[in-house]
Amino acid sequence: MNFGDPFFGYSWIDMIIRVVIVALVMTVMVIYLTYGERKVVARFQQRLGPMKTGPYGLWQGIADAVKLVSKEDIRPTNADRWVFEFAPYATFIPVFMVLASLPFAKDWGVRNLSLGMFFVFAILGLNIVGIMMAGLGSGNKFALLGGVRAAAQMISYEIPLVLSLLAIAMIAGTLNLNLIAAMQDERPFIVLQPLAFIIFFTAMLSELHRAPFDIPVAESEIVGGYFVEYSGIRWSMFQLTEYASMWAFSVFGGVVFLGGWEYPKGDDWGWGWQLALTFIKSGIFIMAIFWIRTTVPRLRIDQLMSFCWKVLLPLALVQLLANGFILIYGASEWWLFGTSSLGAVALVAIVIKRAMRRPSTKLVGAYRTLQVPAP
Amino acid sequence: MTQTYPYPTGQQTAAAGLGELVARLAGVETTLAETTTDVDVRVAPSALLALATTLRDHADLRFDFLRNVSGVDYEADGMALKYHLYSFTHGHALQVSVPTAAGHPHVPSLVSLYPAADWFEREASEMFGFQFDGHPNLRNLLLEEDLHIHPLLKAHPLQAAELLQGIESGPPGFTI
Amino acid sequence: MTVWPEERVLTAEEASFNTVDMTINIGPQHPATHGVFRMVLTVDGEVVVDCEPYIGYLHRGLEKLTENNDYRQAMGYWDRTDYLAGMCCEGAYCMAVEKLAGISVPERAEYIRVMMMELSRINSHFMFLGAFGADVGSFGTSFVYAWRERERIYDLIEEVSGDRMFPTYFRVGGVTMDLPENFERRCHEVLGSIRQGIEDLDGLLTGNEIFVERCRNLSPLTTERAIALGVTGPILRATGLPWDVRKAEPYSVYDRLDFDIPTGRQGDIFDRYFVRLSEMYQSARIIEQCLQELPKGLVLNPGLPKTLRIDKSECYVRNEGTKGEYGVHAIARGGVKPYRMKLRSPSFCNLSALREMVVGNYLADAIIILGSLDIVLGEVDK
Repeated sequence: MNFGDPFFGYSWIDMIIRVVIVALVMTVMVIYLTYGERKVVARFQQRLGPMKTGPYGLWQGIADAVKLVSKEDIRPTNADRWVFEFAPYATFIPVFMVLASLPFAKDWGVRNLSLGMFFVFAILGLNIVGIMMAGLGSGNKFALLGGVRAAAQMISYEIPLVLSLLAIAMIAGTLNLNLIAAMQDERPFIVLQPLAFIIFFTAMLSELHRAPFDIPVAESEIVGGYFVEYSGIRWSMFQLTEYASMWAFSVFGGVVFLGGWEYPKGDDWGWGWQLALTFIKSGIFIMAIFWIRTTVPRLRIDQLMSFCWKVLLPLALVQLLANGFILIYGASEWWLFGTSSLGAVALVAIVIKRAMRRPSTKLVGAYRTLQVPAP
Repeated sequence: MTQTYPYPTGQQTAAAGLGELVARLAGVETTLAETTTDVDVRVAPSALLALATTLRDHADLRFDFLRNVSGVDYEADGMALKYHLYSFTHGHALQVSVPTAAGHPHVPSLVSLYPAADWFEREASEMFGFQFDGHPNLRNLLLEEDLHIHPLLKAHPLQAAELLQGIESGPPGFTI
Repeated sequence: MTVWPEERVLTAEEASFNTVDMTINIGPQHPATHGVFRMVLTVDGEVVVDCEPYIGYLHRGLEKLTENNDYRQAMGYWDRTDYLAGMCCEGAYCMAVEKLAGISVPERAEYIRVMMMELSRINSHFMFLGAFGADVGSFGTSFVYAWRERERIYDLIEEVSGDRMFPTYFRVGGVTMDLPENFERRCHEVLGSIRQGIEDLDGLLTGNEIFVERCRNLSPLTTERAIALGVTGPILRATGLPWDVRKAEPYSVYDRLDFDIPTGRQGDIFDRYFVRLSEMYQSARIIEQCLQELPKGLVLNPGLPKTLRIDKSECYVRNEGTKGEYGVHAIARGGVKPYRMKLRSPSFCNLSALREMVVGNYLADAIIILGSLDIVLGEVDK
């Protein structure tokens, strides 16, 4: 079953059906991701999470969706009307387009593009436009601050993201996501390029506005940032975008780094196992994202930018250079593993070195028993 | 830091002869008294700034911490301001009373000596009507910006039928 | 009035940008302001250039109401000032009336008071740890960890006094009623759980590199400046001065108890956080010592008249409240009602230093600085 073969009849009917399937799966995934996040975060915080709506709170996501749809759609008077109204769509459409190009099982997706990887990160960049529209069009200073911060952050972190993916593309020799997954039948690319994986993961957190990079939506400061003026369906579209792009990135990262539908035994055991592998791998990413969100405070915008430009970018460039040399001279794959691991160790060492600057936790200047003078 | 703070030994002030020391070094006319917890030095409003400067700067006194500024309305006996000071270097505490006339009396502001006096004086002025000369920003702090009543005066009632719907003529509350 | 972070002369190119500073209203309703507090920040990009705090949203007329009520009745208003640590405020008020009238308190009551005040202190500091973690961005984890322990403390306070937040447990001349029989066992349970809770929060925040990056070297304060601004409490101790009213001007039975005063080095946000964390361990020590030394006896001075009439008297009683020096300036002039009772609240004075601390830092840091001041609006607004 090839991508190109129409499975469900005529090719355009086939296309529509595939699109609808992906859209439905995405919707269900997003609803259950909101539920899952609340449960996972609650467990980390020693509490239970939603329990009342349905058994173990399973209908919580649907209840939220129904509530949001039934809310009044408020538009502030000094908001720029059309910019304000189109911003949620402008943010959401790129995410869906990305989902349309990912392979979920062997040769199964909506469309197999030979420039798949390039398409993904080019289209994801359009997200930024939607966020800027939301920020500027809301007529609210907090929204403006959020939008500006988001733009700076997302544009900066695109670069290490793209460079780390290009390192993989150099090794794979192709941008076709299906082929990249198919190449990982012996070992996933994370083994060859751990540094690229770490950079990709960090940059992905930043593109998703997730902790510790969630300053554009810093809830305790600017209460929602660029989507503060939205309510009801429009707000739920922003949430949909966030979780859908989280899922899209996770599937994408799974395909590129963890072996997608192929590793460990995807080719042999059929499309059921392949689908399961895709979901397991994206689940690993998603759990990691939730875990980090619960534990870690947020970085300030200048710290975040300096981390990107001064740490991630040089390492990504060095990685590309090393890959180039290794591939030109046809050295074995162990060289790739070696250089990349060195780079990963360097990155972790930089982060730990900053952490070692933490202050000594001994009490300073604590006064022991007061010698009360005799009366 | 150039200033060293020897560990305070917790001596309470009333025992130390502090009142006499202050009266001797003050250079202005003072009257001594005692409250249950502190020594009280009474001084006229015109002499307050000079006294406070001596209290802060003289080596034996060094009252570097302005703890509290309270206004009091002694109905028939006028109004008063009470300043509570403490010294971190010597560990002694003092109360300075400044009796004033009733109404909107003028008292020099201590903001130039003690930045902590800023909000205390704003509060005293809105609650009692004191006018602090030299304070840069004497606006209402706890009450609304446009409310010109002095609630803590004894003549101001605890409750008045203050209807803010514009039914009564004039601003709500009590004008002195 | 705008203040530039450093003195510099703009080049011709910079001056031609002609930007306008933006005013942002961190309004009375905001998750980060710990109550109804408003500040208007003037921001140049992300750098705060001016800050104007507006308070008074919770002004309830404490002092006027106190003047119109009996000495014993008025106490009900005072534990609502620092509502996170009601017993400390009640302690200060009762001490003021006792000083005015010359009433003595039985020893058992003093020990009980100290235990309750230290429990309230731990309670308030847990609230700080939780809310501060939330401000820095650790979403809600620190909040929930802190709330677990606070629930245990509230349960204990409820067993002792009947109410969680506004216990009205202290009386002029002692406390209302004796401790319940299983108090010692319960207290040891709660203290064990508190120590575990502090360790959890310590592990979550103190070693966290991002937390340290955000808090270290932010808004350092020198001791001289802190004293001049009237700042007391953990903030003053974080600058390096080991001054605590419980040691410097001891009241109640604190001079018989053994505890340390944790201090910091440079008065920045991290030091303030760490000083409060360490103080919680010291409070636990105090409570354990009190439990061991608790004498038997009455808990309320038996010789008090039905109505308390106090002649001309004046006092200024200071107490180490959870945020700093909690002072009550009391004047009695005969009669059954206090003539004047002024609250010197620590949060009021700490908050007046906000402008100086915030100007020149980033907007995100302004929120953290406000959080590190640990204000409670009931005290600020009286």
